[in-house]
Amino acid sequence: MLKLKNVTTMIGEHQVILDVSLEIAEGDFVALLGGNGAGKSTLFRTIAGVLSPSRGKVEFKGEAIHKYPAHKIVGKGLCLCPEGRLLFPQLPVYKNLMLGAYRRKDKRDIKDSLEQVYALFPILKERRKQMAGTFSGGEQQMLAIGRAIMSKPQMLLLDEPSMGLAPLIVEGIADAISTLNKTGITVFLSEQNAQIALMITRHGYVLENGSLVLEGLSADLLQNEKVKKAYLGT
Amino acid sequence: MDLFLQQIFNGVMLGSTYAIVALGLTLVYGILQIPNFAHGHMYMLGAYVCFFLITVVAIPYWPAVAVTAAFMAGGGVVLEWLAYRPLRHESPINSLIAALGALIVLENGVIALWGPQGHRIGNPFPAVFDVLGITMSGQRLLVIVIGVALMLLLQLFIKKTTLGSTIEAVAQNQEGAMLVGINVNLVSSLTFAISTGLAAVAACLVAPIFMISPSMGAMLGMKAFIICILGGLGSVPGAIFGGLILGLIEALGGGYISSAYKDVFAFGALVLILAIKPTGLFGKEVQGRW
Repeated sequence: MLKLKNVTTMIGEHQVILDVSLEIAEGDFVALLGGNGAGKSTLFRTIAGVLSPSRGKVEFKGEAIHKYPAHKIVGKGLCLCPEGRLLFPQLPVYKNLMLGAYRRKDKRDIKDSLEQVYALFPILKERRKQMAGTFSGGEQQMLAIGRAIMSKPQMLLLDEPSMGLAPLIVEGIADAISTLNKTGITVFLSEQNAQIALMITRHGYVLENGSLVLEGLSADLLQNEKVKKAYLGT
Repeated sequence: MDLFLQQIFNGVMLGSTYAIVALGLTLVYGILQIPNFAHGHMYMLGAYVCFFLITVVAIPYWPAVAVTAAFMAGGGVVLEWLAYRPLRHESPINSLIAALGALIVLENGVIALWGPQGHRIGNPFPAVFDVLGITMSGQRLLVIVIGVALMLLLQLFIKKTTLGSTIEAVAQNQEGAMLVGINVNLVSSLTFAISTGLAAVAACLVAPIFMISPSMGAMLGMKAFIICILGGLGSVPGAIFGGLILGLIEALGGGYISSAYKDVFAFGALVLILAIKPTGLFGKEVQGRW
């Protein structure tokens, strides 16, 4: 479904992503592991079209998308739920969600998605009139995921959804992401929290200094000595 | 008492035009993250376009206002595209310099075409009403009615339509807006079109009351900026109330103390309000890009 071929991304003078190639099949659930500054967010922002790669190719459903602007890529069914959430803080929850469906036309279909989001995160329904900026970190993360679902993505890129959240809330979010994958959405999840990411995903990649250094089944990566040492702290 | 009511009326009239111009400035602030210092000069250009249409093309007042609004909305789009879009990812100081460049070009362009002296547009509504001892000219009443109508329409557009809420979304989080599929370039163009179109209508409305001159933009641009600071930069209700407050301060100060000092009252009020509430009346504390 998603294919990266030798992707290199520069930020200013720096090569942040270096020659990354990977392929994700439809319906798969894939983790992207890496420490702070490894380039996880830059890779995701490149795929989503916020940044454009200086070399290489990004293909989504067989179509080259690396020259498209971000707003067009959302319409193709590939949605990034960004690091730091990037919500609209002074708009109510409901409007944040409806703006997530900005590129869709079918009113009834949008309403179905809204019900899906409310079913996944009932608190968003309870607080639909509250300003997004008044939410706690965990609620904001739920809203960010909800807003991404509203675009009816076939593939979802989730950039560090656990960042800054309490362990119990992280578990809840992880459950929600697994549920989304079971409904057929292909999920690519970037995490510093390798433990939980490898527990819920099927495949994993490890990014170091902008390059992929390891890949494999998540269950195998959990047992890998290098991963254990660098990311699991055991 | 009569003098007081008269000055309140004049203040509200003045305040509605200030509010419309300041609204445009505040909307565009959401896009640029800097005040568009050329805004007052686009207002001035609007007055001259209207003057040109009425005197040279010789069309009646209302069609002239409509054509001016449409033309200047296009002018706003061109200004954004030429002066600001190429600098979007640069330091905000560059956009500030571009704004100063644009206003110099606008002011001197108008001087080259129409000369530095003032002009007057004939009053389309010379009728005068006497209500409770207040003298209301038709044109002044019109300024208030249309001003309030435009503010309400704009508020409805932003709060009730999807297209309108994209303006708020882009102002609150540009990258977040891109990621939900909003074309930020298109929204920037739209915002400049609305903002400049509004300023042009305000200019057309007051042109029959005051003289138009190439320097009228600089003072009004500065006042619109004051209003936005008074109300809190980026706040729509702030721009509306700030505009009315400034209009009232000027009218009352001018009526009771001295009209020669009316600008002093305006700037004095700014200093005073900022000393008491540094974020402005409706502003929230935000971390700026400065």
